[in-house]
Amino acid sequence: MGKDKNYFLNEKPEKMTYGGVFRKINDWARARSLWVVAYGTGCGSIELRPTFTSRFDAERLGMRMVGTPRQADVLIISGYLTVKTLKRVIRVYEQMQSPKYVVALGACPINGGMYYDSYNAINRLDLYLPVDVWITGCMPRPEAILAGFKRLQGLIDSGKADGWKKYIENLDWYRENQRKIIKNWRMPNYNW
Amino acid sequence: MEILDKLKEKFEILQSQEKRKDLALVGTTEKDLIPLLVYLKEYEGYKTLVMISCVDWIEEGKFELVYNLWNPSKKHNILVKTKIDREAPKFQTIYKIWPQAEAYEREIHEMFGVDFEGNPTQHEELILEDWDDIPPMRRDFDTLKYSMEKFGEREPKSGIIIRKQISEQYDEWRRK
Repeated sequence: MGKDKNYFLNEKPEKMTYGGVFRKINDWARARSLWVVAYGTGCGSIELRPTFTSRFDAERLGMRMVGTPRQADVLIISGYLTVKTLKRVIRVYEQMQSPKYVVALGACPINGGMYYDSYNAINRLDLYLPVDVWITGCMPRPEAILAGFKRLQGLIDSGKADGWKKYIENLDWYRENQRKIIKNWRMPNYNW
Repeated sequence: MEILDKLKEKFEILQSQEKRKDLALVGTTEKDLIPLLVYLKEYEGYKTLVMISCVDWIEEGKFELVYNLWNPSKKHNILVKTKIDREAPKFQTIYKIWPQAEAYEREIHEMFGVDFEGNPTQHEELILEDWDDIPPMRRDFDTLKYSMEKFGEREPKSGIIIRKQISEQYDEWRRK
């Protein structure tokens, strides 16, 4: 990656601050204030708007959208993921602070869905990013998304949502898979 | 139709058809296309370029470029078509007539491999980053095979959906 080292994680972090005496209390609190990156990758992001606004009102579960990955806990992969978007998603994911969780919506991240023969959409998300909760459907309704988030809260409460740990432990494996499809890691210059 | 008769007098028209009340179709030669577009823009009021598209006629060995123009005062669309060679597809750019053509030509260059001479940005990537095969919208491109090779199998071939756990894959990879 060379000079682009600031954009992506180059080596494993030396120390992970997670656990300790207050882990259970922290997890309990974390599960009740999930902040989601407001970033939609595919068609599924259309279902996130009613989920987070007044009709289905996900804020009663402590969830809300935030505009920056630095403050967020959850990354939602909402639908099909193209190669171009995957690079941005990896960058967003690596900017988030641990512990962080990934939720995949719809059939496309699971096995390609209706885009399984597309030249541009990936078939299996879990080769490139660790996924904690899968929500099936094409697209899942807001009720399904809320049910998925209840499940994620249960996993966090019991300390089983450890995708981010696996990502760091197996960073080389994930990188190898990512490098198979992303050859050029340069990001475009957005200073318009 | 009036406009079609006018065009037939002035240019070499291979094909013309009135599709609907607000849509007409004109096929012309490669040489006459740009004069025809300029004529339609300057004298007939077809001011807007709506889009450019490309069709792959693989049996004939031709690409067909379709320019869709819109006349806002008469509320009329016209499609201007021409066929170019498929082996070394090459055409002139029209971005000096309509600046928005630059992006459409860039997309056609990426998806079909047509070289628009004089277009300054057509070699930049628009959608496909790191593309390593023939342009994907050509009909001889096997998209399923490409997807299987690059992104992996969708499901095991036995038909029973047993997905190997990712943790097993980690272990397998570490043992290597």
